[in-house]
Amino acid sequence: MDKISALMDGELDARQAEQQVGRLRHDTEARACWDTFHLIGDALRGECRFSAQFGARLYARLEQEPTVLAPRRRTPAGRATAYALSAAASVAAVALVGWVALQNAPVPPAQIAAAPAPVPVSVPVTPPPVEPVSVPSEGTMNQYIFAHQGFSPSTAIQGLAPYIRSVSAEQTTKVRE
Amino acid sequence: VKSALPALLLGLFVAAPAQAAAPADPQDGLAWLKQMASASRRLNYTGTFVYRNNRQSETSRIAHFVNAAGGEFERLETLDGPLREVIRTNDQVTCYLPGSRTIIIEQRSPRRFPALLPEQLTGVADSYAVHVQGRDRVAGFECQIVVLEPRDKLRYGHQFCAEVKSGLPLRARSLDEKKAPLESFAFTQLAIGGKFSRDLVRSRYAAKTRNWKVDRSALPVAETPADTGWMLVGNLPGFKKLTELKRSIAGRAVSVAHIVFSDGLAAVSVFIEPLPSARVVPQLSHQGAVNIYTRPVADHMVTVLGEAPAATVMQIANSLEFRGATASAAR
Repeated sequence: MDKISALMDGELDARQAEQQVGRLRHDTEARACWDTFHLIGDALRGECRFSAQFGARLYARLEQEPTVLAPRRRTPAGRATAYALSAAASVAAVALVGWVALQNAPVPPAQIAAAPAPVPVSVPVTPPPVEPVSVPSEGTMNQYIFAHQGFSPSTAIQGLAPYIRSVSAEQTTKVRE
Repeated sequence: VKSALPALLLGLFVAAPAQAAAPADPQDGLAWLKQMASASRRLNYTGTFVYRNNRQSETSRIAHFVNAAGGEFERLETLDGPLREVIRTNDQVTCYLPGSRTIIIEQRSPRRFPALLPEQLTGVADSYAVHVQGRDRVAGFECQIVVLEPRDKLRYGHQFCAEVKSGLPLRARSLDEKKAPLESFAFTQLAIGGKFSRDLVRSRYAAKTRNWKVDRSALPVAETPADTGWMLVGNLPGFKKLTELKRSIAGRAVSVAHIVFSDGLAAVSVFIEPLPSARVVPQLSHQGAVNIYTRPVADHMVTVLGEAPAATVMQIANSLEFRGATASAAR
């Protein structure tokens, strides 16, 4: 338990840190300690935003998410962890905290579960546009407009004037607003 | 459901058109609409009008004359940009494009140049709330504002201003669903009346077109009513099929199926032709208030266009189905 505390405080060397991180992966008790210490730390610093069971519930949720849990999104964090572990212990601790933070912050679990494994979750999903973008016809449709005009009741009301549409637009590119 | 009463009233109106209506009576608006259509065919006038949409503004000169025999002659000439002239002689419309030395001829026979028919006015009342709304002044003439508010999102709104004595439309605007103007035609100068003058409606270019390219947009022989075999699946409230024919289109070697739908005021044309060799990708474009959507359907290219919202034009393009073998047999 003091080892966990030491890990948090960055007092372990690289090998020890690696050991403790490995322990954290398998030992639920150690993990509970890690959580509690962090909660205490947060509370002391006045940053306590989560309930005491938050960690437990979070891990329970994560437990239910099988391998999908490891989508690409986490690769950078994982890499960071590996790097940190091979370096100074303090850095390892920071990376781990970062890793935990990553669990908390970005993606709602439901979304992780829904995402197919090979798809990078971080790609922003833009909703498809309701209508395709309309471009000025630039005179390419004049023949059709000309053929259409003769059937339009607007021609009945306004006479020849609407035919301007079918001879128009040839030079509109130069008259842009 | 509630269309029975207006239809009945309209029946009365058609039977007794001269009856003066109380202000804000929708029949009053429809009467103005009818009056506008009649005035623009019947009257002699010359003037200058400005066509404006959200990208451009263009000034043209227009002259319309009716001879003693009732023949109609009209000439439109652009004053800005490249020279372009449109000449109408009764039911034939000819377009002269000196820049590209091209003539496009469209002959409408035996069909007449479009007229506003009573049954179309019924359609207008079903699809738009029509009302008169105060007066305005355009090109020095007092005019009556007539507003057509669409009853759904399938069509645009319209606002006309008709000269109070003759009914000649002096201004026409199309409005989008936020009532923002999409397109407008407005006279800036106008003279109503005057004696028939052949010179004012004669083409300036017709005599010089010996080596010009002639595109016949629709010859009388080519424009034959036909069952093209294409059908619109699904419901498009207010729009009725006006005509269905096989025709030629300027610049197209093959005959093209042309189906026209209208709600009495706005029209949407469907053109169906064999898929060209170049790849066709769905594309939406516009020219003023006219929206155009092209897409491949089976081994055909479908082009739908009209003075209706893009969604309406696309809906029509996406609801077309080939049903009949008659078209392939006739091809």
